[in-house]
This record gives sequence, structure tokens and C-alpha cells, in this order.
Amino acid sequence: MQFDKEGNVTDTPRETRVLDAVVSLVDKLLDDFDVVDLLTELTERCADLLDIAAAGFLLADPLGQLRLLAATSTQTRELELFQLQADEGPCVECYATGEPVSVADLGAATSRWPRFVPAALEAGVASVHAVPMRAAGIVLGSLGLFGTRTGELSEADLLVGQTLAHIACVAILQEHPPTPSTVIPQLRSALTHRVVVEQAKGFLRERLDISVDEAFSLLRRYARVHSDHLTDVARQLMTEPSSRPALLERMAGLAHD
Amino acid sequence: MAIHEKLRAAVDGQRGLAAADSLCEACVTLFSIDAAAISLIFAGVTSGTLGSSGAIARMYDELQFTFGEGPCLDSVAQRTPVLVADLANANDVRWPAYGPAMLEHQVRGIFAIPVVLAGEYVGALDLFRTKPGELHADHLAGAIVAAELAGIPLLDLMDSDLQAAVNDPDSSAWAELNALSRTEVSQATGMLVAQLGVEPAEALVRLRAHAYATNRSATEVARDILDRRLRLDAD
Repeated sequence: MQFDKEGNVTDTPRETRVLDAVVSLVDKLLDDFDVVDLLTELTERCADLLDIAAAGFLLADPLGQLRLLAATSTQTRELELFQLQADEGPCVECYATGEPVSVADLGAATSRWPRFVPAALEAGVASVHAVPMRAAGIVLGSLGLFGTRTGELSEADLLVGQTLAHIACVAILQEHPPTPSTVIPQLRSALTHRVVVEQAKGFLRERLDISVDEAFSLLRRYARVHSDHLTDVARQLMTEPSSRPALLERMAGLAHD
Repeated sequence: MAIHEKLRAAVDGQRGLAAADSLCEACVTLFSIDAAAISLIFAGVTSGTLGSSGAIARMYDELQFTFGEGPCLDSVAQRTPVLVADLANANDVRWPAYGPAMLEHQVRGIFAIPVVLAGEYVGALDLFRTKPGELHADHLAGAIVAAELAGIPLLDLMDSDLQAAVNDPDSSAWAELNALSRTEVSQATGMLVAQLGVEPAEALVRLRAHAYATNRSATEVARDILDRRLRLDAD
């Protein structure tokens, strides 16, 4: 729901909101952007446009194991669900088959995924959907969507999810035209970025006595304010001890603003 | 058996330098190349060979540190694979000293894949071939798997208390890589960097050593560190 200039309530059709999101994301792709930051924003757009509780991108590492690259939430409980999804559940199935997987009522799927389903139900998840990410004829991973209500994704929902997953693929592969030889090193590089960002969250949690959640918001805000890449800021923090004190001081200042 | 299954089989049940050598030998068998070595670079200068498929591979590898240029150094500096299909290509002058030296040894193709530990680019897996030509896409994918697996023998070597790791020869490098790549483990590694004043790779070694010593999973230890239920002592 939005308000127009006169303050009257207007319902913006979803079509318009989807186009807004796509235009804004593609604009970023055409400029200098950070892959973890952009994919996190993609998950947020997903949750908003599809009216779901949480979304996350799981990417296959060089050994074919799914790993979390970006998610709407950094809550431990939901993170755990995404990580469980790396071993069994709709995302693994979607990655293996390259086809979307939709589970409208998770309660009826316990026997299918005996570890994932009870944990998901416990966390209040009622339906799960997974959309494949693909390029150069290979499946890169999947976009997982968690809903708190039971129900199918409509065809329109699925299309929106698939569109955002395509944008994520482009973001990851954008440096070079994709071939199997270029895709795998880039997946590895994106996952390495994520490792360093997670380390930086832990580092800030310790130094500034904040939660990892707050640490992530602070890192993203700092990167925006300084027109820097999220992953570059994180890498600097983790690998350049000499620049840490000044960096920490500026971040602490930003945290108190 | 798929290539990555064979690579896993080459290192499982082995530790430290033996695992690194096996990995290099497996690369020679699997990727239509003639020699393989894993070298490490510390702070951009000092270096060492972690493993090799033999004395010749080690010599090829060490030559680049003699000349101060070569695929391993480039691959770490650029954080990307360095793939040279033919050193004899006259347009390619990236290594004015190392290139001609390798040609004298009849090496034409050189392929280096970075080895990454706790997000740090610490070295590279170098593959050498006497025939010119691109590395086959499947072989490149396999070499990247080998470079991932190289992280485990490296962790073994960085851990001064190797005993714990050696006591468990059945542990699978694959399972361990997955366990150590979890979000909580990376976050706790960052906390340890702040608490102990060490680099990320060293922090990961400390976390892993504690997990081994207390017979718990790396994730459990990581959660305790994140929730401040556990503090590791500085050396």
C-alpha cells in the first residue's frame, strides 16, 4: 500500500513493483557493484514481492555442495534452516534436477526430508519453494523461499522468483561471458567473498560488542557511505591489521550516528 | 568414478604432507599433465612447497621463487586462476625470466589455481604440461576441486598439535571442508582474529584444534565462541 501526493491510499499493482525492482537491480548491474551486497538486496526484494518470510541464495561450491551466499535474515534459526537446506530439502532437489520445487504444505512432507521438515516447522515455516539458478547449461544453485502460510506459488510468483534468480546469475557471472571454465572459478570467488564477510561480522561483534546482525548492517552502511564494496571493506578489515584501528574508529562512529 | 571422487580418495585417510603429495600425484594421473605442485606464499614474499608429484615438479615450482615471478605468485596476487596454454607464444611476455627457463625444461602449458584458506589467498596448485594447449574444461574443474582439498593438509601443517588430527585417519577431508565452510565458523573465526590478534587462517587453525581436542564439531565450538560461552587463550 502506498500514498499518493494528496495522501490518499493507492494500491500499486505488483506488476509495477516488480518492474521497479528489476529496473533498479539492472541499473546496479550496469554500474560498479558488490556481489554479496546486491544478492542480499535481491533476497529482500524477493521476500517483499512474493510476500514470503525469508529468501536465500544457495550456490554450489566446486565440490557440488550447496552453500549459503546471501539471505534476507541473519537470524541464527533461519540461517540454520538455509544450511540444513544445503544437505537435504527442496533446494538440494532443485539443484539436482534444475527444475523448480514447490512444497505447498511442508507438514505433509516429513517423510521426504526427515531432518529439514521438523526444523522448518519448528521455525514457523509452512511452505518452501526453490527456483534454479542456471547459466552455460549448468545449474549454479538455487533460490530458496520460505513462507509462513501454506499454499502454492502462483505462476506469476514463480516467474518473479525466476527473474530475480536470473538477475542473481548475471550478477555473479557478469565479469566474463559464461563457459563452464569461467563459471566455476567465479562461483568459488563469490563464496570466498562470503567467508570474509562472515569473518568481518564476527570481528565487529567482538570489537564493538554488537550482534552479527548489527555488524552486517554496519558493514553494508559503511560501504555505501564510503562508496566502497562490502567485500572490499570486509577484506581490508580481515587482512590488513595496520588499517584496522582507523577503520574500526570510523565504523564505531557510524554505529553511533 | 567422477574426477572429484578420485581426488577425494587420493587424500582421505592421509594427513599433512603425505596428503598434499597424493593430491599432486592424483592431478598428474587425472588431468593429462606431467607435473603438479602446491606452493604457499606468506606475506607475498617467503614461500614453500606444500606438496608435489615428484622432484621435477618441485624444481619447476621453486624456480618461480628464484626468479621472483611465475604462475603461483600471479594467481595469489590476482586472486584468480592463471592459465597459460603455450609459453612459447611470442605475444606472451608475462614472465621474462621464468618463461624461458621453463621452455628450456620443455614445459609449454602452465596452469595455476589459487589455494584459499579462511578467505585468505595463501598459495596455488601449479600444473605443468610439456604439450601446448588449453586445459580441458573438466580438468580445470577438477583442478579447482584439488585446490579446495589442498586446504586440509595445509590446516594440518599449521596446527602445531597435529596429534589430534593424526589420531583420526578415517576423517574425510570433504566432510571437514564442508564443516569448516559454515557461516558460524567464519563468524567465530572473525571473533578469534579480534580476540587473539592473529590472522584468519591461524584463527581457523585454533578453532579446529580446539574442536579436535574436545571431540566436538567445529560448528558447536563456533557457536560457543559467538555466544561468548567459550574463549580460547592467546598463546
